[in-house]
Amino acid sequence: MSAIITAANLSKHYGNKAALDGASFEIQPGRVVGLIGPNGSGKTTTLKAILGLTRFDGALSVLGLDPRTQRDQLMNDVCFIADVAILPRWLRVREALDFVQGVHPRFNRAKAEQYLARTKLEPNMRVKAMSKGMVVQLHLALVMAIDARLLVLDEPTLGLDILYRKQFYQNLLEDYFDENKTILITTHQIEEVENILTDLMFIADGKITLAASMDELGQRFTEVMVEPNQLNAANALRPMSQRTVFGKAIMLFDGVSRAQLSGLGELRTPSVADLFVATMKGAYP
Amino acid sequence: MNTMKWLIRRELWEHKGSLVWAPATVAGALASLATLAAFAGRQISINGDIPQSVVVTGGPLEHLVQTLTQTYMASSLPLFLMLSVLVFFYCLGALHDDRRDRSILFWQSLPVSDLQTVLSKAAIALLVAPLITIAIALLLSLFILLVICLVMALHGTHIAGPVLMSPGLYRSAFNVIGMLPVYALWALPTVGWLLLVSSVARSKVFLWAVGTPLAASLLMLWAERFFQLDFNSGWIMQHVVERILLGVLPGAWFLFTSADEQVHLSMPDAGGLQVGGLLQASWQTLGSASAWLGVAAGIAMLAGAVWIRRHREEG
Repeated sequence: MSAIITAANLSKHYGNKAALDGASFEIQPGRVVGLIGPNGSGKTTTLKAILGLTRFDGALSVLGLDPRTQRDQLMNDVCFIADVAILPRWLRVREALDFVQGVHPRFNRAKAEQYLARTKLEPNMRVKAMSKGMVVQLHLALVMAIDARLLVLDEPTLGLDILYRKQFYQNLLEDYFDENKTILITTHQIEEVENILTDLMFIADGKITLAASMDELGQRFTEVMVEPNQLNAANALRPMSQRTVFGKAIMLFDGVSRAQLSGLGELRTPSVADLFVATMKGAYP
Repeated sequence: MNTMKWLIRRELWEHKGSLVWAPATVAGALASLATLAAFAGRQISINGDIPQSVVVTGGPLEHLVQTLTQTYMASSLPLFLMLSVLVFFYCLGALHDDRRDRSILFWQSLPVSDLQTVLSKAAIALLVAPLITIAIALLLSLFILLVICLVMALHGTHIAGPVLMSPGLYRSAFNVIGMLPVYALWALPTVGWLLLVSSVARSKVFLWAVGTPLAASLLMLWAERFFQLDFNSGWIMQHVVERILLGVLPGAWFLFTSADEQVHLSMPDAGGLQVGGLLQASWQTLGSASAWLGVAAGIAMLAGAVWIRRHREEG
């Protein structure tokens, strides 16, 4: 299958500061991709470029369209939640359903209502009377009822309490995601999305520093709790990073086979958060 | 077309308060005042101990009915003045409010183009809001006419029948609706300007919309005096500044064309309030070149508003 998003050499400058500095990547259909990077690394700019909400240099194709010039057409197949709590305050639940049904050819009202029935939202409720979590529930109900090929989520759970956050991703996976859809998520809460991602992209200083599927990550990166007597041998294999927990050295290796490492100590697959910290070391001065 | 229908509805949901309830409330207040005045007037006549009985018949009655049916819409004049204020502030917020609360990101996540969005807002300002006001004004005027008929009946003159039979009653209503296209065309430069400012300004929209043209014309006036330059700042004031700020005022077209010698308005001399005469004169103002220059400028400014909404980046 051909890629749903192809980006080559994306660049964008605000003054002399580069928000995107030659970022290139591909996203295949049917994946859940996490775009992860520190603040100011170009995450949001990348999403905005994909959604046609910002100007940039470079080649970008989303579903075969150029978001800069074909944005109106693109929005038939792309959906996004840009930030929490951006629904207009005067909007009622019923009006939101009516409007999206009226303008979106791929909106399934029954599905949205089914989802809303599980919440405390009432048809006549206005956004201004809702808690932050309820606004997200409404937005999610609208978005999940749209049969879009690409869903883009920018910090979708920012400011939500833990119950809503868990529920959000659970609903997304159970009720929405299938092999015809692609989800692109940026978030700071790496631990939260770790289990639902199929692919991972790290971004730093406007460049993609790592792009791999979760399976590849497991094969490529290994974490070893090094036995004290194996420290020299371990260091000889040039670990990416090293930290100490309970007096034991934990080293992260990139591209060293498990057979080679197995003698050094206990092996495990690193968490995305550990990988992120190790990869981003250079990004934080 | 379906999308446009929903965009218009969307605007009505958001602005029901100012577009419907505000004129309806004012109309209700005017209706109550009229009733109260008629009722109080009756009281006085009773207390005055001489029950006034004025019976009008024949020619004078005919004249009375004719005048009433031709001018009764004038009782809604406050509503039409209010319309200009409502439209003015509606336009200022139309492309700014959703940027301020960032809900623009929600609207832009739906398959609705910025052209459609801006057109729907212009349609509200130029057609929908005036139509709502006309409908409410018609109800109010008919109510006040009814009150007048009742008061006269209490004094012994029964005019309800002749009034209802008079074709003028219906013609006046149609004449007011007939002014809508004239209004839309003359209001277009103002609506275009206000929507443009609304989509450009980051804050203080009112200040930008009103301050910019006023400051510019003052500057020109000063430059003209100081450097003895020969550009006619008075002309600019009238043909640009007034047009982009006052166009939403119903009837402002007479103001805009009064100095225009190319257009000879056949203003009815006696019945200045006769709606039929006003309608004819209003349509005649469209014969001036400046009317159509304004329309062109208005469309250009709307196009500018669309372009800015599409290409501006929200933080």
